[in-house]
Amino acid sequence: MVRFVLLVPLAAGCATHADRLAEVRSAYHAGNAPEARARLDAALARNDRDADVLKLDKATALLTEGRPKEAEALFREVRDKFEEKEGRDLREAALAAVTDDQRLAYPGEDHEKVLLRFYLALCSLMQDGSDATAYALQVNQKQQQIIDTARKGAEGAGPKDGYKLVAAGAYLYAALREATHADYDDAARSFEQVAKWQPDFAPAKADLERVKTGRHSQPGHGAVYVFAMVGRGPYKEERAEVVTQAALLVADRILSAVGKHTLPPTLAPVKVPVVARPVNQVASVGVYPGGKSQTRYTETLTDVGLMASEQAKAVLPEVLARAVVRRVVKKGVVYGAKEAAGADKNGLASIALDVAGVAWEATEAADTRCWGLLPDKIQVLRLELPAGEHRLTLQPAGANGSPLGAPEEVLVTVADGRNTYVLATYPGAKPVGKAVVSRP
Amino acid sequence: MDRRRFFAAGCGTFLAAQVGCRGTQTGEVMTADRKDTVGSHAAGAETYKPLIDEALGKLLARQGAAVHPVGHPGVPPAAKRICFVGVENKSSEDLADIKAQLFEVIDTRVNTSGAFHQVSRRYVEIGLRDLRLRPDEMLKPENLRKFQAVMESQGAPFDYLLFATVTSGTTRDNDRTQKDYLLTLELVDVHTGTPDKESASLRKLYKKSHGLR
Repeated sequence: MVRFVLLVPLAAGCATHADRLAEVRSAYHAGNAPEARARLDAALARNDRDADVLKLDKATALLTEGRPKEAEALFREVRDKFEEKEGRDLREAALAAVTDDQRLAYPGEDHEKVLLRFYLALCSLMQDGSDATAYALQVNQKQQQIIDTARKGAEGAGPKDGYKLVAAGAYLYAALREATHADYDDAARSFEQVAKWQPDFAPAKADLERVKTGRHSQPGHGAVYVFAMVGRGPYKEERAEVVTQAALLVADRILSAVGKHTLPPTLAPVKVPVVARPVNQVASVGVYPGGKSQTRYTETLTDVGLMASEQAKAVLPEVLARAVVRRVVKKGVVYGAKEAAGADKNGLASIALDVAGVAWEATEAADTRCWGLLPDKIQVLRLELPAGEHRLTLQPAGANGSPLGAPEEVLVTVADGRNTYVLATYPGAKPVGKAVVSRP
Repeated sequence: MDRRRFFAAGCGTFLAAQVGCRGTQTGEVMTADRKDTVGSHAAGAETYKPLIDEALGKLLARQGAAVHPVGHPGVPPAAKRICFVGVENKSSEDLADIKAQLFEVIDTRVNTSGAFHQVSRRYVEIGLRDLRLRPDEMLKPENLRKFQAVMESQGAPFDYLLFATVTSGTTRDNDRTQKDYLLTLELVDVHTGTPDKESASLRKLYKKSHGLR
């Protein structure tokens, strides 16, 4: 019994991912991608369980720094790891039942699995674009697979049927198909999906009209797509689930009163991860190819923060169920130890075991692993410009269109009848790195 | 059942619920005699391969027999030059990556038929882009003339335009859905404006089971 009491604190949970992520986010959002990457490298050297999400963040920083090739390699690695980790594993489940959810392999949140493929498409576009179409298709395929898998065994509608779908993948696919000048039908289908999935994305109507009856661009012109990663994105933090804790406390008090032995009281909070969404200043990015009077603004294609919080709510019952089972298992182990030791109900040994049980329960931490450098919103603006070199000026804007921060100039090359892609990251008024530009 | 056994049974049930869901993904090469996997939600290789075989086979056979361009004695007739404009998807399903493959399969079959010579897709895309021409407006006489001129200037003249269209018809009966897939190939002689059309169809039944309630 003494051994049990001594061993329990050793099973303690460590600092959560949220703790490790705070400094990385801080550096990145201050515009210092290399610093964020250095912190991520240090965290990667220390921590194996968080490796995949740390690599996602590192890949994001690399892309922002204009290193799409390295970013793509990392994103692909994590995509494949997430695929391997989907489903449940007995050994991990057993370990998590006596520790916490951090012991479970992390297969990525649903929105992360989908957005990962969108980022892969962007990485490819910033190089030769050879895999961009495949990645863009994978965005839709993955989200459909997630919904279909959740539907299996469910009565009626699946638990994930109500998911808000990522329109960014369909948009990118449409842009790529339109640029072939031969696949306007594919482009129209995809823009229809964009209009359906992101109804407040105003340009979808014009995009749809253009691919149904118009042309990619007028002769001698090309299209420039400015993708803006706007705002500080969602992350997970730990929250005490007070109602569940109170219910468990009442239950264990009743069982303690009527049982042969007492159960450790549920004093330690039941911790669950919740999605936090920072308040963001930047509402859009103003882009002016010529004079400032021609300023046009990026519009939201995918609301990452909203999607992450809605998806977290959808899976919360499952997270809570695991937390409750974990408490039951722990209380059961303490109860069994008392039975084995022949402890008196109110004897010293029983009290010592209850104290150990409470301490054991207090070691739990919520699983706050997440892709921490996502933006709050993915926005886009399509411009049609004459072929040749252009200086675009980008400037973040607040909710009323008022400029925030200093304007940044980007040199883009527009080719006749082709697309050029620009990627800019504005977590706040200051950009992270320089805008990344593809070669048409 | 005493408490210990009850507790053990409880834990066992919980752990059993976690068992066996994480699998490993493997792949294998399918030999030529293996049947294609049948798509449970949409058409795939099992649908489009036979459609291409049938429609293209019939079209090529008829065209090959019908037209024999005049050649000099002892010189085999020149292959007909076909410009394959593309596959238009008018069905209710996304073709996704199948579309590019449909194009390539048709393209290759036409080229290896002996009677036809296909203009490279790359020339077609350049022509469409340079003229900002939509494939669905290609047959307007003015557009066609311009397109022919561009293709000739690239050294890729053609005698025929080939269009492929995929359509579907859906019939529903509660949890059963029948889909009729139709692949239509249309070959248009650009010199005479004469069209030749061939199509193939395939029906598929989708059933949805609900398991135990």
